[in-house]
Amino acid sequence: MGIPILSITLASLAVGAAASFVAGSRARWVALATALVFVAETAAMFLGAWGPALAPGQVPVGDAETYRWISLPWLQVNYALGVDGISLVLILLTAFLGLATIVYSWNESHRPGPWFGLILLTLLGSVGVFSALDVLLFFLFWEAVLVPMFFIIGYWGGPRRRYAALKFFIYTHVASVVMLVGLLVLVFYSGSTSLDYSALVARAPALPIVTQSVVFLALLFGFGVKFPVVPFHTWLPDAHVEAPTGGSVLLAGLLLKLGGYGLIRWGILLVPGGFLHLDPIVYVLAFLSIAWGSVVALAQRDMKRLVAYSSINHMGIVLLAIAVHSSLGLLAAVLLMFAHGVVSGLLFMVSGSVHHTFGTRDLASLGGITPGTPFLATMIMIGSLASLGLPALVSFPAEFGALLATYVAVSYWVLIPLLILVVTAAFYLWMMQRLLFGPPRGLPAEGAHDLPFFERAGMAVLVVPIVLFGILPGLLVTVIANSPIRGYP
Amino acid sequence: MVPLAPALAFVSISFVGRRWPKGEWGGWIAVVAAGFSMVVSVLIALGEMGAPGTYTDVSYTWFNLPGSPGAFPNGFRLVIGTLVDPISALMLLVVTVVGFLVMLYSIGYMHHDRGLPRYYAELSLFLTAMIGLVLSDNLLEFFLFWELVGVCSYFLIGFYYEKPSAASAAKEAFIVTRVGDVLFLAGIFVYFATYATSGPAGGWAANGFLFAYGNAPFLAGVLGGNSFLLTVAGLFIVAGAAGKSAQFPLHVWLPDAMEGPTTVSALIHAATMVAAGVYLLAVTSLFLGFTSLDLLVIVAIGGFTTFFAATMAVVNPDIKRVIAYSTISQLGYMVLAIGVGGAMLGLFHLFTHAFFKALLFLAAGSVIHAIGTQDLFKMGGLRKTMRLTSAAFLVGGLALAGIPPFGGFWSKDDILSAAVQAAEAHAAYWPFVVLAFAAVYLTAYYIFRVWFLTFSGDAVRDPSLPAAHEGGWVMQVPLIALSVFAVVAGLFVFVPSFQTLLQPFGVAVAGIPPTYTSTDLALSAISVVLAGAGIATAYALWGGGRVYELAPRSAARPIRQLLLERYYFKAAYDAIGRRGIYTLARVADFVDRYVIDGTVHGLERAMGAVSDRLRRAQTGVVSDYAAYVVAGLLFVFVVLLLVGPYVVNAWGGG
Repeated sequence: MGIPILSITLASLAVGAAASFVAGSRARWVALATALVFVAETAAMFLGAWGPALAPGQVPVGDAETYRWISLPWLQVNYALGVDGISLVLILLTAFLGLATIVYSWNESHRPGPWFGLILLTLLGSVGVFSALDVLLFFLFWEAVLVPMFFIIGYWGGPRRRYAALKFFIYTHVASVVMLVGLLVLVFYSGSTSLDYSALVARAPALPIVTQSVVFLALLFGFGVKFPVVPFHTWLPDAHVEAPTGGSVLLAGLLLKLGGYGLIRWGILLVPGGFLHLDPIVYVLAFLSIAWGSVVALAQRDMKRLVAYSSINHMGIVLLAIAVHSSLGLLAAVLLMFAHGVVSGLLFMVSGSVHHTFGTRDLASLGGITPGTPFLATMIMIGSLASLGLPALVSFPAEFGALLATYVAVSYWVLIPLLILVVTAAFYLWMMQRLLFGPPRGLPAEGAHDLPFFERAGMAVLVVPIVLFGILPGLLVTVIANSPIRGYP
Repeated sequence: MVPLAPALAFVSISFVGRRWPKGEWGGWIAVVAAGFSMVVSVLIALGEMGAPGTYTDVSYTWFNLPGSPGAFPNGFRLVIGTLVDPISALMLLVVTVVGFLVMLYSIGYMHHDRGLPRYYAELSLFLTAMIGLVLSDNLLEFFLFWELVGVCSYFLIGFYYEKPSAASAAKEAFIVTRVGDVLFLAGIFVYFATYATSGPAGGWAANGFLFAYGNAPFLAGVLGGNSFLLTVAGLFIVAGAAGKSAQFPLHVWLPDAMEGPTTVSALIHAATMVAAGVYLLAVTSLFLGFTSLDLLVIVAIGGFTTFFAATMAVVNPDIKRVIAYSTISQLGYMVLAIGVGGAMLGLFHLFTHAFFKALLFLAAGSVIHAIGTQDLFKMGGLRKTMRLTSAAFLVGGLALAGIPPFGGFWSKDDILSAAVQAAEAHAAYWPFVVLAFAAVYLTAYYIFRVWFLTFSGDAVRDPSLPAAHEGGWVMQVPLIALSVFAVVAGLFVFVPSFQTLLQPFGVAVAGIPPTYTSTDLALSAISVVLAGAGIATAYALWGGGRVYELAPRSAARPIRQLLLERYYFKAAYDAIGRRGIYTLARVADFVDRYVIDGTVHGLERAMGAVSDRLRRAQTGVVSDYAAYVVAGLLFVFVVLLLVGPYVVNAWGGG
């Protein structure tokens, strides 16, 4: 308390972003400094979070910061920030991904000022989304993430970048509009003049089921596109294929989590009645995403598309863990979002490095890269194994929790995601077999150099949480449980 | 402390191993670490022998979710701990002794290979995980290490990664065992959820471990009214064990796993990891309990696999693959033992088998090291140049065939007599018990076929092979040590202090030590006669350097072909994978690109057509666009307000 650490964090990111834009070739140093400050601020938040435990059912916690922003007789908009365990873990994810991306793209020579500035803006927007406690403020931050990512894909992307960026923008923008409308409907129905989260959460769950259900449908669509949920997912592979590596890392690692976070904080906690009423739809979407993402991934030849579809699969498990409506499920959903964030970040980094090093990501024409680039090969292995749920790496406790909660809720239906795990293992193993094993194929004649220092360092930043929280998931679980998860069924 | 030494070896070798000359130092570090673990394990085993029926359980919270009113009233706590009891002490002995000897042997065997730091790092990691598995005090922790040993196996099968066959074998092994693993996970869910939701406050959810002494009756009480759940959970566990222990129908991966170095085959794919499935069944039957349907399935799988795998070993021309089929078959005996209620007999066979099977592999490794081929029909006459190896292989073969007083006799005989007793109570067991007896004959035949083809006769059949020679002392010492164990391990059953390891609850276990009633003696006589007949057949067909050829039109030719093609199981599984699932994936990909995304593009074109008409509305003024956005928002808003409730009511009312 006392120190408005969230505002300080947002301000430092904003200052860093602005400075990067004008710093030109020195932008990377500005960005690095900003990221390090951000990491320190996150650490400070965590020290606060390991303090006294919160009472069950207490909603957004930590250092709530509320200032009146727009005060009208019929409308009250606040600048309200606050974090609980769920937000905090996702802010930690933001810090890891931000630092990793900046280090990884250290040698970006194509207009480095805007590049690093836009990355910092994305981080700023994400931290805002994870901590905003007012509908309008939340929406502003939500849109604030969209814009820098649009430019990152559209300017630094691959050959079809315009198409991909537009597709990304239209999809997610339509979704955000529907989401905003849903939230506004909720505000007006709840009879509140304030857009504040605490006012909403006090009244909304008591609304009639019909109202809640309508709002939930809107929110499910709004957040679901971001997940993305099949069949609203086709923007994702295109965006990833065209996005530059740093963009992909943030897109998969961070932006998808905004959907998951939004659905938890602004969806199921606000309109639990509507959620339960429409839960079968959520289950169907979750199972569909899990199965579809994994099976389609099996047919991909482009490494980035493969990882993109595996993201759809993993975010489907997140949705499933939310759908089961239990404290364990919610916990697992948040943990899995963190896990998928760092793991997919690493996987997109290695895909990018494969592309830089060999000039292609086509799995069918590459092979036997291990002798020439052992570091890259090791990272591909760690990323793939983490993603297929190997114990002692971070995804395992999350997937275990999610599937256990699924079994408790819907018994043998759990066999669907379980058997899909075999398919997931199959496409990662197939990828490793093509890329890492066998005689060299499609490699440059003069031999490839293993990765430059900064690409290695960027990957190393992500391997740390993958291994650390894989062995000690309790560190994260304790923090996540410090949230409305307590008191959840 | 036991797993710590190899863990340190793994970390140190993987981070700095590359800088050391030729990886030799890394090898010695790994050997010393394994040796240290072995010494500690022996001390632990001696401690357990001195104090029958005692156990020590130490556990730490791995992750903890405080209690909440709904599904998990007791909260949710997962623990990681170590349970040192007679069973784990027995397994520790197997893992660390064989592990140490194989590491030592590797120094000589792998001498010429590249990538040694990787080899020793992965082998050390494997040893760490295997020890962790053995010491686990709950199913989840067990699963965690189970997956880790699996991935080490994957790496080590694919050690010669530039060979496409090795890469594909590694992938196959991982995927096939993965099928078992996810079902195992489902089994854990059933146990776990039942315990956490309907268990009393003192149940698993609160105290966190399941391999607790006295737990089986407790669980039976909790699940007593719901034996269906217990049956299902048991079947899931069986599926997991079948994957890891390469039991029918998940057996296909093990022979292909022989693409790895022979040392890896000896340690992982004969003595330890593949036995983990049997260990899982044993601890499940001791701590959780199986229902009678589960037991019938276990007996069926075990009994059938003994025979099924042995038939494929009969014709195979590859020295390592014959031994691999033999491993599958022997694991079948252990599974059978658990099915007939003799879990400790199964573990005893695991114990003796680990030594003689590792011995067979390392002896085969010596041969491969010396002449550079695995093809039995190119070998021959090696008895003269490789006296030690030929003697060691002979000892291993006799132990495997079950000739007294060698190791395999005592443990296999115990299983067979327990199986016959059980079959007298459950007639449905008979076919599988008979198959297990038939497999005794085949076992003796195929292993002596290998011995005669390799070692008897005058000279090597393929003259282009290099002159054979024994490996250095690092290879000879493990052969000698394992030969000694292969002879005496079975006799341990008569040592009273060793018997305490086979009686985990401090209670006498039927068949330990063997009782030898007249029925038992008769059964022993039958199995020894069968084994003798097998050896005699092998001698008649292959002895003295003979090579037996089937007549060109012999009716046995199609059978031989069927066996060589492994009953077409591999081909069928490949077809399911390639034609079935991969085709499905291609179709799904097509739908994704052209149907789902196609719809999106169709919508886009429709919008484009509409917008042509509305072109005049496009003024290019930002405030106009803002007005459109507001109008659009209002539209959605109104739709939700007006139409929404009807939609939701139609869905099911609220």
